Amino acid sequence: MVSPDLAVTLGPLALKNPVLAASGTFGYGAEFLPYFDLGAIGGFVTKGLSPAPRRGNPPPRIVETPAGMLNTIGLQNVGVEAFVREKLPALRAYDTAVIANVFGETDAEYVEVCAKLDQAAGVHALELNVSCPNVEEGGMIYGTDPRALERVTRACRRATRLPLIVKLSPNVTDIRVTARAAAAGGADILSLVNTFVGMAVDVERRRPVLTKVSGGLSGPAIRPLAVWMTWQARQAVALPLIGIGGIVEAADALEFFLAGASAVQVGTANFVHPDAAVRVVRGLESYLVRHGIPALRDLVGTLDTGVPA
Amino acid sequence: MAAATCITKDLRVPVLRNVELDRANFLLEFSAPSMIASMRPAQFFMIGIPGGETLLRRPYSVCGLPGTFEDGADGAAQVLYKVVGRGTALLAALKGGTALDVLGPLGNGFVAPASREVRPVLVAGGIGAAPFPALLAALGPAGPPRMFYGARGAADLPLSAWFERRTELTLTTEDGSAGRRGRVSEPLEEFLSASDPRSLHVYACGPEPMLRAVARLASRFAVRTDLALEAHMACGFGVCLGCVVPTRRAGSEFGYDRVCVEGPVMPAETLAW
Repeated sequence: MVSPDLAVTLGPLALKNPVLAASGTFGYGAEFLPYFDLGAIGGFVTKGLSPAPRRGNPPPRIVETPAGMLNTIGLQNVGVEAFVREKLPALRAYDTAVIANVFGETDAEYVEVCAKLDQAAGVHALELNVSCPNVEEGGMIYGTDPRALERVTRACRRATRLPLIVKLSPNVTDIRVTARAAAAGGADILSLVNTFVGMAVDVERRRPVLTKVSGGLSGPAIRPLAVWMTWQARQAVALPLIGIGGIVEAADALEFFLAGASAVQVGTANFVHPDAAVRVVRGLESYLVRHGIPALRDLVGTLDTGVPA
Repeated sequence: MAAATCITKDLRVPVLRNVELDRANFLLEFSAPSMIASMRPAQFFMIGIPGGETLLRRPYSVCGLPGTFEDGADGAAQVLYKVVGRGTALLAALKGGTALDVLGPLGNGFVAPASREVRPVLVAGGIGAAPFPALLAALGPAGPPRMFYGARGAADLPLSAWFERRTELTLTTEDGSAGRRGRVSEPLEEFLSASDPRSLHVYACGPEPMLRAVARLASRFAVRTDLALEAHMACGFGVCLGCVVPTRRAGSEFGYDRVCVEGPVMPAETLAW
């Protein structure tokens, strides 16, 4: 059998394989060059970029929890202009999709970042971070209020011709409502999910472990929740989906593909094995070979729930 | 200790030995010749247990490199650790032959004094002694360095007999169970006040309150001082941004530096504690 076809097309975004590295776990890409050729994965999403540099939250910023971790980095980033000037040029040499994660505190700030990235050569798509739980302004409000989400998505849609991904927050009562709002605002693709808000307590000191009290929970602990939300979103909207949540190996990614995602993002696992995303790509190839399936896209959304149509 | 270009590797390697030194302090030895060939003192590894209960790896400073310990295996490195939580408890249960996931070398490491006229002064707090065997081996056979080594009690001073043979050593314990009663910064202060600061290079590693005290002395006596910092980190190679400390170094990103990349060794005057 010829090697399986991993290429996927998500609306206007074509990827040579469906494995991306998630925002906030992959720096600006260059940090991973000692570990693998960035061309081995379908693409990566940058650290969230804001109009101006952000210092982030004071430490301690992270703590491990059962099968996961909480973080409150607070979107420390170099700002969109420094990204375009200092980080982006070197990335053009790699055969991988560079997806810029966009963050703002207001509609105008989101639009500003989108417009600046729209002019930059080498950006393949934008992902709106409307779901960061760790900053006090913007972020979460956009992620949980469907009207605000639709409005900011529409504003960004007008500011760029690049494929527009909206990254949904799981911290909602019904993910289908925000999925529809992002679709109505003009998103091309939805990615889900961002981190779940959680907290950990140091019982000896009787204080929160993290300085900001709460943080975003990621890692294998959230995977069943994320797969369920991907499945729900699949029923609610026709847009292509990118599944995110606790993917460590190919079998984890396959859960999302079967539930209806056309691509996945590997996040926290990048911290454990720098080449975690490459391991997922290889594992997908061997799964397809083992099952005699010629193309990964043939699997998308094929979950058999046993319920007669 | 020439500056070396270190290629970081992610290897699965066998545990050779995992020896309990005293109460809760262990020396773990593993084979990784290609990883450690050009490793420097105070660089570190991220170590994970394959299939283990913990998700993230933990950072461990290199304690011994080939030649540091007389009984060390060829091509092996040692890390010194204290059982303080779940990750270290799982590590302590490992037997020889078990596989470890080791990423390294990471971080910048200590550099030797600028000249042979400069005497190294080592300041360790408890398990913060970890990077000093490798540093002593790298410093070579010049006159014995001065060392100040403190902890809560006598059981928290791993390798103190080893240091006794290789340094002019002052031990302190807060409970008085070994050495002088009190904190390690007290004899250090007396020593610095009686010395020419230009003839000294202080290397310190230990808990943050100790490092803050050493940094204050460094400033007061104007003595060159490098601190090896410890922090919680998820990745160890610069992307999680979990391990930042406030600094006032020119060029640091908005007043934070990453312990894993810009450190773990930082000049005392750059810390904005």
